[in-house]
Amino acid sequence: MARRGNPSSAINANMTPMIDVTFLLIVFFVVVSQIVDRDAVSMDLPAPSQAVAGIPDNQSGVVVNIVPLEHGDVAGIVVAGHTIAWDSMHELSDIVETRLRGGATEVHLRADRTTKYLYVHQVIEAIRAAGLNPRLQLVIEGEQP
Amino acid sequence: MIDVVFLLLIYFMVATEFKTAEESFPMDLPLRDYRQTIQLDSEPLVIFVESAGDKKSDLRIRLDGPWDTVSSIEELVLFLQSNKAGRFGASGLFTETHPILIRPTKETRWGHTIAAYNAAVRAKYVNITLDEPS
Repeated sequence: MARRGNPSSAINANMTPMIDVTFLLIVFFVVVSQIVDRDAVSMDLPAPSQAVAGIPDNQSGVVVNIVPLEHGDVAGIVVAGHTIAWDSMHELSDIVETRLRGGATEVHLRADRTTKYLYVHQVIEAIRAAGLNPRLQLVIEGEQP
Repeated sequence: MIDVVFLLLIYFMVATEFKTAEESFPMDLPLRDYRQTIQLDSEPLVIFVESAGDKKSDLRIRLDGPWDTVSSIEELVLFLQSNKAGRFGASGLFTETHPILIRPTKETRWGHTIAAYNAAVRAKYVNITLDEPS
């Protein structure tokens, strides 16, 4: 029995909807990848139960990260893209002061939950030494949606 | 072209890392002038915080003064709430602006310090300070 129609025409899948979806996915990931906070160092922030905290305004603040090591010790400080050794605390004061004079009003302090208070207190005092009475924001882990 | 598009898609899927949600406690950092002696209106309530281990519950709390022993964060919140003036009748000893001084040791973990800070915030006190390590 002879087949109907043109025997030379091949059956092709319609690719257009798949390309549309793929482009949408690409646009999504391009947009989302811009909101990654490059100032934040990866660490386990404190997560107190039933925390009554606010949402920090990342636009008006300078982020100070205390980089954790094992057993509550620290490797150094990362602030505004600069890595500062622990024995160069005056550099932290200088950078924070520069940022505060440049328009920042807050200092966001990020420290690991296992870090000893001895180190955190030294950083707080260095930020205080920068002057200009900044508002300190003690950053904690937010509620998971 | 579709090959390149798929490559781009895979690149962005792998390279994207989502920012975790963060919250924060605001704390003022007034400049200290050691030449001046500040007279406090009332004696601050000092809360000693000590870590006994890594877990959330491994912290020891002690109150400076003739207060009952507080053994957990929840008990600390209850103590602060029940002794607050204007709440739970007229028996409150501390006003909302009463200075609360949190004094961890040098070895206290930051997570435990923040837990004590959060307890005072939960009890709606507004004058909370982190003291020098004891």
